[in-house]
Amino acid sequence: MSIFEYNGSAVVAMVGKNCFAIASDRRLGVQLQTVATDFQRVFKIHDRLYIGLSGLATDAQTLYQRLVFRHKLYQLREERDMKPQTFASLVSALLYEKRFGPYFCQPVIAGLGDNDEPFICTMDCLGAKELAKDFVVSGTASESLYGACESMYKPSMEPEELFETISQALLASVDRDCLSGWGGYVLLVTPTEVQERVLKGRMD
Amino acid sequence: MSRRGDWVYENNGGTCVAIAGADYCVVAADTRLSVGYSILTRDHSKICELADKCVLASSGFQGDIKALHKNLAARELLYQHQHNKRMSCPAMAQLLSNTLYYKRFFPYYAFNVLGGLDSEGKGCVFTYDAVGSYERTGFSAQGTGSTLIMPVLDNQLKSPSPLLLPARDAVTPLSESEAVDLVKDVFASATERDIYTGDKLEIVVINKAGTKREYIDLRKD
Repeated sequence: MSIFEYNGSAVVAMVGKNCFAIASDRRLGVQLQTVATDFQRVFKIHDRLYIGLSGLATDAQTLYQRLVFRHKLYQLREERDMKPQTFASLVSALLYEKRFGPYFCQPVIAGLGDNDEPFICTMDCLGAKELAKDFVVSGTASESLYGACESMYKPSMEPEELFETISQALLASVDRDCLSGWGGYVLLVTPTEVQERVLKGRMD
Repeated sequence: MSRRGDWVYENNGGTCVAIAGADYCVVAADTRLSVGYSILTRDHSKICELADKCVLASSGFQGDIKALHKNLAARELLYQHQHNKRMSCPAMAQLLSNTLYYKRFFPYYAFNVLGGLDSEGKGCVFTYDAVGSYERTGFSAQGTGSTLIMPVLDNQLKSPSPLLLPARDAVTPLSESEAVDLVKDVFASATERDIYTGDKLEIVVINKAGTKREYIDLRKD
């Protein structure tokens, strides 16, 4: 089994009209055994910037701790929050530093930039950025997520519809992947508020 | 020295889908044949009509698929001569399973979906692995685009998914035209993200009136 499939994960982010949604599954496994059903994979960097980390769970946690540290330093020096595009470059640089001994994570970054413009991107474990205008996926369920998102996504969805779409795509995809699932966690971010919801799906 | 048993096979790519309805069955496959990163032809059918109410779609290694289809067609003809009737879909399903398991230790590299009408005229779909393990379901996808398509079918078909227990005899309540539209949509999505799927989509619809064939263009990149 590949090191990326050791813990199992599914992360997806989608762009809507002046809003974005980022979602993940909740399973933490050790190969085929499930060890936790409330594992957090999507982390807050600041009110308008979130990062989801799929892949090896220990690297996801370590990487998150490093990124929060770097962002706090940035806040002290610059007296403001980081823009999503800048943060994406930071993540990319941090990952490439470990080019010959990488973090086994695939990040998904989602944030609201200037003028409340939603921004999403993903990268591989070495930091190769992939910007997208519609959706990004990562994790063991990524192929299923590609199919589901490609079928269900529409541009410029309102927050309620975006929430419904990303939830359906996530649940349908993780149900076909034995390493991810045990519910879902969806964050919907608009310029005025942040909604967090926990989904109940097949608990297997 | 690594074992090089793999060189006898090759994956020619492609995706096959089948959906069973109350009185119809839709079987569809793309028509692209690839080797590595190249396209050999944009116009190769993966679908074989084995009997009047029974259609097989296979993806995988085309050499094995051609041999398998030829084998099954010959066995169906023999059955016709011996029993004075065509093979029913469930009978063909069992025959395909046995044929695949016969080569358990040098398998046909073929991922099959068998669709048709059962003896009561209800739609049926049987899905297989490479060595003949099979199951009657309400819908299935096999091939390089299968992981992209299956979750969408689970979500849209409003019929008990093969994942639900207890196992239930499942046909979708959707109408024939809705099912065909769904097939076109899922193939459009799979074509976007799977490099081995594209060019043209061949759709075969079986109902009590007979068999109808339709071709839809897909992205060629």
